This record gives sequence, structure tokens and C-alpha cells, in this order.
Amino acid sequence: MNARSLLLNAYVYAVLIFILLPIIIILPMSVSESNYLAFPPEGFTLRWFEDYFGDRRWMEATWFSIRIATLTAIATAVIGTMATYALVRGAGRMGTLFQTLLIGPIVVPHIALAVALYLFFQNTGLSGTTLGYVMAHSLIAMPFTVFTVAAALSSIDPALEDAAMSCGASRFTAFRLITLPMILPNVVSGGLFAFIISFDEPVIAFFLAGIRDKTLPRMMFDDIEQNLTPVIPAIAVLLTLLSIAVLIGAGMLKRMADRRGAGG
Amino acid sequence: MSIAGFERPTLGKIIIDGVDCTTLPPNKRNIGMVFQHYTLFPHLSVADNVAFPLKMRGISRSERRRQAEAALETVRLAGYGDRMPKQLSGGQQQRVALARAIVYRPRVLLMDEPLSALDKNLREEMQLEIKRLHSELGLTVVFVTHDQGEALTMADRIAILKAGKLQQVSPARELYERPSNLFAAGFIGEMNMLPVEWDGQRARLVQGEEIVLPDQAAITPVTPGPAVLAVRPERLSYARAGTAGTWAATVRDVVYAGAGTLLITSLGDGTEVRLRIPSAGQEPVSPGDAIGLTCPPEAMLLYPQEGA
Repeated sequence: MNARSLLLNAYVYAVLIFILLPIIIILPMSVSESNYLAFPPEGFTLRWFEDYFGDRRWMEATWFSIRIATLTAIATAVIGTMATYALVRGAGRMGTLFQTLLIGPIVVPHIALAVALYLFFQNTGLSGTTLGYVMAHSLIAMPFTVFTVAAALSSIDPALEDAAMSCGASRFTAFRLITLPMILPNVVSGGLFAFIISFDEPVIAFFLAGIRDKTLPRMMFDDIEQNLTPVIPAIAVLLTLLSIAVLIGAGMLKRMADRRGAGG
Repeated sequence: MSIAGFERPTLGKIIIDGVDCTTLPPNKRNIGMVFQHYTLFPHLSVADNVAFPLKMRGISRSERRRQAEAALETVRLAGYGDRMPKQLSGGQQQRVALARAIVYRPRVLLMDEPLSALDKNLREEMQLEIKRLHSELGLTVVFVTHDQGEALTMADRIAILKAGKLQQVSPARELYERPSNLFAAGFIGEMNMLPVEWDGQRARLVQGEEIVLPDQAAITPVTPGPAVLAVRPERLSYARAGTAGTWAATVRDVVYAGAGTLLITSLGDGTEVRLRIPSAGQEPVSPGDAIGLTCPPEAMLLYPQEGA
């Protein structure tokens, strides 16, 4: 190893530490005995985790978030797959427009989207409803699902479906039995990403929240305004662990898909 | 692709076995199809690939298994059923695709350049394999190819298409020896095409020689005027320059290729004429030599000038 690659390695690690540091810091903060956010932490306690799991309000918010995120994941996976199929397999001249509309939410600031949705949902009675949340979250999660599914779909020879049809399968059966099993790992990991995006989405939740039903990130903001106890870093730790679990899950799915593609 | 139902023809009808299939979708045509790039389903085992058409026809699992194994046996891949497609070589994959296309005994087997992805040796082996299957199973095979040699060796009847229009449909021998138009003549094999002036009985080369042609030289009636005289290179031979009844030509290049030799010559007006002659027993010639070309009358074909 020469000096240059040594320097490069050091640089890479420095960047990684810079990125990871805030995440690492919340861990000691979440077990600190003090009643406010403190670093370095004082003592060790799991009290804040107990507070979180024991508080009805936190739990309600968590279950509400899980419900929204699950429905968002399913909606995004189904609609995203259908949309991607249309995009990859011939949307024709409308394709570009369609694609721009689908992935638009990536470039539109969430705050702008949130304001627009707020006004729209106020007038249609969707504000604060599960359906409203799922629609809004699907909108922002859709681009990620589309990208994930498109990556798999564009690597599949369209002639495979032709072959299935020449074997007697209808167009839908050809998709269901041939294309879908091949892209399924990507569809599922697209859904997992959608779950995570929905689960810790704060901006839209801020605008759409009713008085009763609040998502977990929304509850956290409320708590930060009023109390700012180490429950917040405790939840942050749990959210981080969830994200890591989902990433590992998506990675395993990808490995599975690759192995299958290589014919193992 | 029109025969299989993936494209709608702009004009005309597709009738298979007396049934008009022009507007039927691909899955309702009961046609076996082998594609250019195998198109095996990568997530299914070889046996499941072959059994797929049977599954679509609602045949029971055990019966599927049995028929798939029988089809694999037909393509000499018995015992390969449990492997995945990626574990097979290109030739084996194409044979699995073949088994999948014949397993349900279709009326017609369509093959869209099925061998173009294989290397030369494998291609020749598969050509024989397909011919064997053809006679064993007794089904009609429509075989699309850009390889003229493949077309001549494999087909009972050859159809030449140009821009979606049929040029000629005939047995291989007739297609080669009496192509129906200039396009067909130039498409299969090599063909010398000499511009001539036709007066109804004799064709006159640009440089002056007059050739009396038999009646059957013209495949379609040719009106007097500019026309094209077509001769296969292997039908020409040469003699000493000035021999009576020969066409004066100059040797430009001699390409020795073992059993045969390619002679590239040119007529007085610059028209290139190629000769394919046996290498043995010929008086040697070299570039620059003046020679006389001869051709048996039955080997000459007369066509109207293109675009006329």
C-alpha cells in the first residue's frame, strides 16, 4: 500500500465518521440519567426506553405510523410496479412526461408538496385520515420504488413474455408467472424503502395531522417543543435500528435476486 | 412475428391449417415458437420451462412431468430436467427452447433465426438436429434465417422476403438455378450480372459479342431493349483469348482456395465477372492475361433491367 492509497483510505474513514458521528452520539444520550438532553451522558439507565414503551400516547402514535407505513409500502409496491412496467415496456411518447410526473416529488421540496396537499385535503375531507396519509406518503415514496423496480425490469428480456405468450399464456399470466417472480425481490425492497420513508416522514405529517391521530415523527416534534426529554434520542435509536434492519433486509433480497439471476 | 401474432399485418391474411388467424392473439394460435436468444425462463428449472405450455393448457402435474421429460428426450437432453437454464451451454439452452416449443405438439413450429447466436460448429449440429426433428415429428417448420447456406440446406421450400413482400417461394434447387427475379438471383449465392441489349433472340454484350439464348433463359417475358444476363460463377469456364464463341475478358485477380479457385475478370466495359473453377487441370492464368469466357447456354438467365 503506497502513501497515496493510505491517504485516500484515511480520507474515506474521516468522511464516514463525520456522517456517522451524530448517529453514534444519540446512543449514549438515550441512556443518560439526566432529565434533559446531555452529552457526555451522566450514568446509565434504560428509563427512557421504558417511558417510550409504557406511554399510551407514544404507542398509539407508533402503531398509527406502522399502519400508515405498511399501507404506503403496499400501495407503492403495487402502483409503482404497474407504473414502472408501463414506463419500461412502452409508454410511448407520453413516457417522458409520465416519468417526470412520477419522480417529480424528489425535486419538489416536501414543504411545497405539504402545503399543496394541505389545501387539497382540507377541501376534500382527507386531512388527518389514513387514506390521506397513505396517498401523501405514497407520492413521496413512489420515485424510490420506481427506481428499484425499473432497475430489475430493464434487465429482463421482453421476449421472455412473448415466449410465454407463444406457449399459451395470456399477457397477464405471462407477467404474473414470468416477469413478476423475477422482479419480486426488487418490488419487495422498493416496498421496504417506502415503509421507511413513510415511517419517519415529518414534514407532510406536520401539515396533515389531525388532533387525535398523529404519526410518530409528529409526536416527537410535539415532545421536542414541550419537554425535550431523552425519550427523543431513545426513539431515534430505535428508528435507526429499524432503518438498518430494513437496509439489511433489502440487501439480502438483492443478494437473493443476484444469485437467482446467476442460476445458483 | 406476424405469423406468431405479435404484430398485426397491414394487409393480407394468415391462414394456418384452414383457420384464419389474422386477428388471433399469440396465446390462442397454438404455434410453437423458438426465439433468437433462447428466451428460457431463468427462474424455472429446465423441466418447468418445458412443461410451461402444458401448464397453460391445464394439464395435470404428473402428466406435465412425463411429457416434458419425453420432449427433453426428443432433443437429447434426457435427465437435464432439474438443472437451471443458466447451467446449460448455449446449444443446450436452444435445445430446451426447442423442447418447450414442441412439447404440446403444435401445428406449426416457428423459428426466428434460432441458430444465429450459436457458433459455427454448434450451428451445423443444430441444423441436422432440427432436420431430424422435422422428419420425426412431421410438423411444419417455418424457419427464418439470414444465412443463405442454412436456407438451402435446411428447407424444402424457400421464401425470399424483401421489405415485407414475397419475392419467390420455391424449392431450394429451383430457387438457386432459376430465381424468379434479379433480387432473388442476387440474394442466394453469387451471381454475375452483365448488362446486355436484347433484341428478342440474341443478347449483345456492351463490348460487342452476340449470344444466342435458348427460350427458357427468360423466366418472365423480357421486352427487347436493355436487359440483364445472369450467370452463376461456377457455370463459367475460360479458354484462350479469341476462341470462337467466347467473350473477351481480362484476368484481374486469381484467388487460390485449395479445391477451387476464384477468378476475377473484367469485360471490356469494366463489368466484373467472377468464375469459380476447380483448381486442378486448368491452364494457369495470371492477372493481366487476356482470356475468353464461355458458358453453356442453359446456364444463362435473362432478366428485364431493374426498374424498367
